[in-house]
Amino acid sequence: MATMTRILSTGFSVVLCLSAISCGGGGNLAASGTTPPASGSNVVTVTVDQGPTVNGSALGSINTLFTSVTVCVPGSTTSCQTIDHIQVDTGSYGLRILAAALSSQLALPLQTDGAGNSLAECTVFADGYSWGPVVLADVQVGGETASSMPTQIIGVGTYASAPADCSSQTVMGEEDTVEAFGANGIIGIGPFAQDCPECANQAIAGAYYYCSSTTCTDSVAALDVQTVNPVTKFAMDNNGVIITLPSVGNAGEDTMSGTLTFGVDTETNNVSGAQTVLNVDDFANLSMTLNGTTPLATSFIDSGSNGIYFNTSSLATCTQSDIDGFYCPPNTVAFSLTIQGLDSAGNPITGQSTGVSFSVGDAQSMLANSDSVLPLLAGTFPGSQTTFDYGLPFFYGRRVAVVLDGATTTVGTGPYVAF
Amino acid sequence: MPIPRRDASKLLACLSVMLMAAACPRIACATLGEPESSVQTDAVQIQGSIKAMTDHEVYRVHEITMPSGTLLREFVSLNGTVFAVAWSGPTMPNLRQTLGQYYDKLVPLAKLNHADHNHLQILQSDIVYQVSGHMRAFSGRAYIPGAVPAGVDLGDLH
Repeated sequence: MATMTRILSTGFSVVLCLSAISCGGGGNLAASGTTPPASGSNVVTVTVDQGPTVNGSALGSINTLFTSVTVCVPGSTTSCQTIDHIQVDTGSYGLRILAAALSSQLALPLQTDGAGNSLAECTVFADGYSWGPVVLADVQVGGETASSMPTQIIGVGTYASAPADCSSQTVMGEEDTVEAFGANGIIGIGPFAQDCPECANQAIAGAYYYCSSTTCTDSVAALDVQTVNPVTKFAMDNNGVIITLPSVGNAGEDTMSGTLTFGVDTETNNVSGAQTVLNVDDFANLSMTLNGTTPLATSFIDSGSNGIYFNTSSLATCTQSDIDGFYCPPNTVAFSLTIQGLDSAGNPITGQSTGVSFSVGDAQSMLANSDSVLPLLAGTFPGSQTTFDYGLPFFYGRRVAVVLDGATTTVGTGPYVAF
Repeated sequence: MPIPRRDASKLLACLSVMLMAAACPRIACATLGEPESSVQTDAVQIQGSIKAMTDHEVYRVHEITMPSGTLLREFVSLNGTVFAVAWSGPTMPNLRQTLGQYYDKLVPLAKLNHADHNHLQILQSDIVYQVSGHMRAFSGRAYIPGAVPAGVDLGDLH
């Protein structure tokens, strides 16, 4: 009904942009991007490369994992588009796509309430926010499909602009272009289902909004209308994911490719096997201890972080002003790290502990070349003294499972990470 | 792509009434760099509840719990100035509210660099802004270096 209202009030020329996000330029409905390997319908190729091309040149992404996702108008097998360079993020929840990467011909319907208002989301990351309507799409990743899944479209020029209490949550401003966002979209496949479960009970400022034709209002959003971890919507292989990436030498690589496998212990190709299982708490955190010092109780492993972020006085930060949050040791420095599982309340779990090692190199020299795979890239974690943020370099040379909250496998019950 | 700045007249009007909570507009007028009374304004504006106040030797800490569960701490020196704010939890606070006059100063300084979505740091002589985290678990702080009381460990401002 909202669509009808808007058609009547705004005229036909914007019908597609309102009722059928998106409003990006050009594009066609033919499939593009990488094709999943034939190693299983639950497997899709992932890559670490320079990122999507904008105005003829790649963004120059670093340690950023991408895959391709196909979105279809619900129920259609022909009104579909495959979008490459969707960032694979185990630190967030839900599928979000930049309008600029979507064909204007793809008529994805808005998620609306009974009164005809459309649902919109303010997605906040630490650096900036992304605003846009929630639409419904059949989403295919590899051979898996999530039907009529709430999906956010970011940067829809013809949609209402971000409310003040959305934009006020960051100082960076809106990340509504591919360049600002750093990808054509993001697929959040962390160990939980929703990004704002509390939004189902109360209106949280700067999260979900219902928008009339004139106004967007902070609103309660029921769990089933919120953007959602796509894995939870798959018909099968829906209890978690396994990311497998090759090992890489200290010098780094230009690009890398690996696999994202859906399900854990659901097929012959996703068997748990012998591995360390570490439960995460309600905030997806683990405890990590650097070189045997004080445990950092709000640490995490996150494919969406593009380096190894932690605070230490033993490493010098870079003097170059635009990279002063990174470390620039003159020589490579090795560290040992103990990682321990946490219960839901954040208490360490006895027996869930393992040791790993890593090295930190000179960020300035690493960033000066064009490699997109930089395993030794590390920097400060500006917001907290109790966090070790082990980003995508953790996944290099490992097979890492992320199992959903409440899901049971042969080796444990989620939420957990295992490797 | 910075968001539009508020126009200067609104900022001036805001500053002129910053001690009058009732006259404050919906946004801004508090609190970093402002008197301790602005903590109350903050709590009202972000619909939070003041949880506790703790005394340290050279500063006081007010804790406000936001509806989302995020804990916002406001550090006040003994002369009554909010010299730092810090937060942790599933959502970010309204920074226009909690950073007050410093919000508009920080916006044009924020820039894309080699970092990802999970980290942002702005280091200036008169304001330090640091935030990081992933969806549902953010932590951050902002402080005025020149207003931090002598003897305070910056590591305690979180």
